[in-house]
Amino acid sequence: MNLKLNPENPAARGRRQALAPISPPDDSLDGVIERFEALQRRNDSPVGTIRKLPAREPRWVDFPKELDGRLREALASKGITRLYSHQARSWDRIANGKHAVIVTPTASGKTICYNLPVLNALASDPSACALYLFPTKALAVDQLEEFNSLGTALGSDIRAFTYDGDTPSDARRAIRRRANVVLSNPDMLHSGMLPHHTRWARFFEHLRYVVIDELHAYRGVFGSHLANVLRRLRRIAAFYGSTPQFICCSATIANPKELAQSLSEEQFDLVDDNGAPRGEKFFVFYNPPVVNAQLGIRRSYVNEARRLAESFLERGRQTLVFANSRLVTEILTRYLKESVGRPPGGQAAVRGYRGGYLPRERREIERQLRDGEVLGVVATNALELGIDIGSLDAVVMAGYPGSIASTWQRAGRAGRRNAASVTVLVASSAPLDQYVFEHPEYFFDGSPEHAHVNPDNLEILVSHLKCAAFELPIQEGERFGPHDTGEICTFLEETGVLHHAGGAWHWTSEAYPADAISLRKVTSDNFVVVDIGGGSRVIGEVAFPAALTTLHEKAIYLHEGQLFHVERLDFKERKAYVRRVECGYYTDAVEHTQVERLEGFDDHSLGAALASHGEVRITSRVVGFKKIRFHTNENVGDGKLSMPEQEMHTTAFWLLFPTSSLASLPYSTTETRDGLVGLGNVLRTVGAVLLMCDPRDLGVSTSSSKDESAALLCPEIFLYDNFPGGIGQSEPLFRMRALLVSMARELIEACACNAGCPRCVGAPGEVGEQAKAVALQLLAALASEHQQQQAA
Amino acid sequence: MRRITQGDIEQLRRRISIAAERALDIHEPAGGPAPRRPPGPSRFGALLLAGEEQQSSLGRFWLQEHMVPNDRMHGTIPVGDLQSIPGSWLSNISDGEAQPVEPGRWAFLDTETTGLAGGTGTCAFLVGVGAIETSGFRVRLFFMRDYDEEPAMLDALSECLNQYEALITYNGKSYDIPLLETRFRLKRQASPLGRLRHVDLLYPARRLWSERISNCRLGTLESEVLGFERHDDVPGELIPHRYFNFLKTGNLAGLRPVFRHNVLDLVSLACLGAVLMPAFATPGETALRHAEDMLGLARWLRKKGNREDALNLYRKAIRAGLPPRCLFASIWESARLEGQAGNRRIQVRLLRDLSRVANPYRASAFEQLAKHYEHREKDFRAALEMTRNAQIHAPSADLDYRERRLLRKAGEHAGAGTAKYARTASREATPARASVTDVASWGDRSKTGR
Repeated sequence: MNLKLNPENPAARGRRQALAPISPPDDSLDGVIERFEALQRRNDSPVGTIRKLPAREPRWVDFPKELDGRLREALASKGITRLYSHQARSWDRIANGKHAVIVTPTASGKTICYNLPVLNALASDPSACALYLFPTKALAVDQLEEFNSLGTALGSDIRAFTYDGDTPSDARRAIRRRANVVLSNPDMLHSGMLPHHTRWARFFEHLRYVVIDELHAYRGVFGSHLANVLRRLRRIAAFYGSTPQFICCSATIANPKELAQSLSEEQFDLVDDNGAPRGEKFFVFYNPPVVNAQLGIRRSYVNEARRLAESFLERGRQTLVFANSRLVTEILTRYLKESVGRPPGGQAAVRGYRGGYLPRERREIERQLRDGEVLGVVATNALELGIDIGSLDAVVMAGYPGSIASTWQRAGRAGRRNAASVTVLVASSAPLDQYVFEHPEYFFDGSPEHAHVNPDNLEILVSHLKCAAFELPIQEGERFGPHDTGEICTFLEETGVLHHAGGAWHWTSEAYPADAISLRKVTSDNFVVVDIGGGSRVIGEVAFPAALTTLHEKAIYLHEGQLFHVERLDFKERKAYVRRVECGYYTDAVEHTQVERLEGFDDHSLGAALASHGEVRITSRVVGFKKIRFHTNENVGDGKLSMPEQEMHTTAFWLLFPTSSLASLPYSTTETRDGLVGLGNVLRTVGAVLLMCDPRDLGVSTSSSKDESAALLCPEIFLYDNFPGGIGQSEPLFRMRALLVSMARELIEACACNAGCPRCVGAPGEVGEQAKAVALQLLAALASEHQQQQAA
Repeated sequence: MRRITQGDIEQLRRRISIAAERALDIHEPAGGPAPRRPPGPSRFGALLLAGEEQQSSLGRFWLQEHMVPNDRMHGTIPVGDLQSIPGSWLSNISDGEAQPVEPGRWAFLDTETTGLAGGTGTCAFLVGVGAIETSGFRVRLFFMRDYDEEPAMLDALSECLNQYEALITYNGKSYDIPLLETRFRLKRQASPLGRLRHVDLLYPARRLWSERISNCRLGTLESEVLGFERHDDVPGELIPHRYFNFLKTGNLAGLRPVFRHNVLDLVSLACLGAVLMPAFATPGETALRHAEDMLGLARWLRKKGNREDALNLYRKAIRAGLPPRCLFASIWESARLEGQAGNRRIQVRLLRDLSRVANPYRASAFEQLAKHYEHREKDFRAALEMTRNAQIHAPSADLDYRERRLLRKAGEHAGAGTAKYARTASREATPARASVTDVASWGDRSKTGR
């Protein structure tokens, strides 16, 4: 975080300056744009790019003839008398019995795309059932309301319920017996519904539709798990004689159709001609001005984001500010609350929003945004997902969100149907942000990221085949996805969990296999935050890993911009006791992470280096914290902490370079080290492509270990499975090492940049000026043997 | 799409075995392939098990039968006692449904399963059905020697159960019955279970014995109530493992005790029924030996609205000598009942008893006495005294309110006498509560005080 680097001072001055470029106050958004344009014409302007996305007229289509009269009326009462073209087209595809994947921007009426066909089917057949899957429980709650707003038109026979970990056990039986539509999540389907499918017999017998919303969320390992859960779902549905039709909705990604097809292994029709109207939209790239040219230090992007947000809020524009971390979200919430204040007699004009607030508080903020009761919200990516908050006038992003798809999705939160809106991206001094600022075409003309899944990752596949066998015996010759199951079942029989009899494999273990398999790397383990000032009130929850850095003793925990001092962290009971304070600082934890080899399963020389795969231990520990003053970001003290070490055993692929192989390179030690980091970045990118996983599923780390003979430090690059226990990505990487190296080389060589960019080794600001050259040298050293082998 | 190859599996096998060695796993490493038994019926050739193979259109399974003669003692209970159970007892114990069912039409049922996890992957490999017949207690064990025998076994079980009208289990409501329902559904067979009237003896057993016996598991009751001790029994948690081991090796040695275990469970279930049912059928006449059991039964009767029998049993239980833990509870509960029955004198005596010694109901007893004196006796001074005593043990806003009202009432009736009385009372019942200041906090306390 670069908060600390900012030498600029106090809030008051900052605020006066904030108004300078964009004042005097003006009520039209056009005025705002003109001021940005005027600012852009200056020398060394902080405004780099202003891109105008023209307004678009709606494209209407009449209701389909087959639409039930009651639904027609219900829609009319909501002011809907026609459909947008994409809604009509998805209706048409679904009515033709096709699986449909719909790509729609935020607020284009996507829920109608799936609710209408489902409701119309229920209108003619009240026994029909549909399963809706959402990546989070909150979205399911949100969509239940949306569904019921139309569903009630069909009378009380049509029943929709959410079914997840929060559902009380006495309600579960009634839901199983009576639900037409169940809104749930993949985790619940995996561990709660499929293993007990006989209790859901009625539901599976009548299952006609499976709706998967927020499809883009299912990439990487999470997606690979979902693909296998869907294989199990189709298998159970087939047992009860049904073949459900899939309807998927995705935000803009490069390959929505491909993703839908790999997840559900069906052929899909793509609907992506958005017919919803859009007002004029402006996209502004803003780089905080340099305040110290020698050191290249810029003004704090947090303060700049605050100033820009203030200028919108002061004009009464509903504004959403996105930050990339919880801490920055809270700091911005606090700053904006201070400066915007409270309207007389009203409630807070600005609120914070992030995971960790209690569900009720989050629902309240969402509603206030929709109803216009709150003017500004500062949020993490928790508001990026499709929760309905209406459309806003302005979005300010404090820092580049990290991916093109994510940036467009956040930007989509701004956009009135018939008025102009603006999105400002405030670059931080992080190399990636600076790169995007300087190369706007990377963002505007580049394709959004691809979402990859690998349903055939052997360990994931085997895990789910166990669950499948638990659910129904696996018949000889049965296929699981495209795979013949015989080989794996024979293998599982050897390990004792399956038993072959009567032409089928049966589950012979006391265990409940779904319990041992978590679809996500985030554990559900969390800490609750208890405010002990005046009773004891639970004010929030924090996921396990984050708790270590935000709830250690003496930390300042921020909630909606309010400060709480952590008095005691009860590790065993998973509780943090906090008390409201007013102090001028917040805390930032210092964490150390280390990768340690435990055991090599196999190794092989790769050119001058040694390639291995095996087990490693990733150790991280919070060793201390810094106290940082608000506004000035001065470091006003620090503290040591002895927090428990967090260990993760996982599998890794690694390359070890003997010192001798690097000595001949004409680069300094620092340059060599940067080159290794750069090479690590490239290997991760290529590795993710080869494994069809999400880059975030692979951890990358460089370190050095002692050479056995020379006692010199030998650099190493680790690519590890970012999941406890590993998920079998390292062995394939080891097997494909030659391909990995040659593809990495192709990628760097094909990249048109001069000295590195985020597409290859990383931006120069991050990995130095020589990283690209060093990485290529290292790759040449790695490839030498490969070529020799080919020659031989 | 890349296909999974033999090589991939080899890699997986190697990784798993390396990990297993590393963890110094006690299980043998998953090395070479397990010895496959020859397929087909011949694999049961060496099955040295009593009973015989049954065959139907759905396949084969194994049936074993036992007859426990009437003159056999099961602990302290003669098996012949089962003969004299009247059909009406089933109705008495099952909270309702008046229709009696002849004991000859009762099926006792117990399963042995491949695990406790629940869900569709858990299987009942052995199902025992017990029945009361003239010559004794007959047990049939339906056993699947492998998974492919499940359809035939379930089908035969259905056919057997069709001869009966009632089903008696222990914890079957939440375990055996749903599990069997799942098995029938998985094999696409109609379940016979829905038709049968089901009585789960776990619930009446808990009602009767939970005060005396810490856990009401069948095994515990068997020794505590029936006085039957098992020797060389197989612990329940090992049963799945024994079956898996049999599947792998064909070795019956580990499984024979499981059959015996199931038979004993069924005999105990039936004998427990013979003890439980008369208690619930004729509570007035039952010769229960333990005061705690009388209390359990009294509570059940009270819940059913049978006040008279309940009171008799409460009185008997209190006289028979209850441990302090439940003595006070039963005095408190019976005081209420006596009040409801109009026996005010006895009620007051019981409440007075409770108010004299330290016990969890002391404050409540004072409060009840206060109500009694205020509303029935119109003796406001006595009521005031009781209220103040209650306040000492468990102050509450309600009591404060009552105290103020009583002071007012007592003042209206006795004038200056009240002040004098208030002083005496406060000397007795230290510390007297300041009632005026409490007015302000009344609203707050009513929220938190209760």
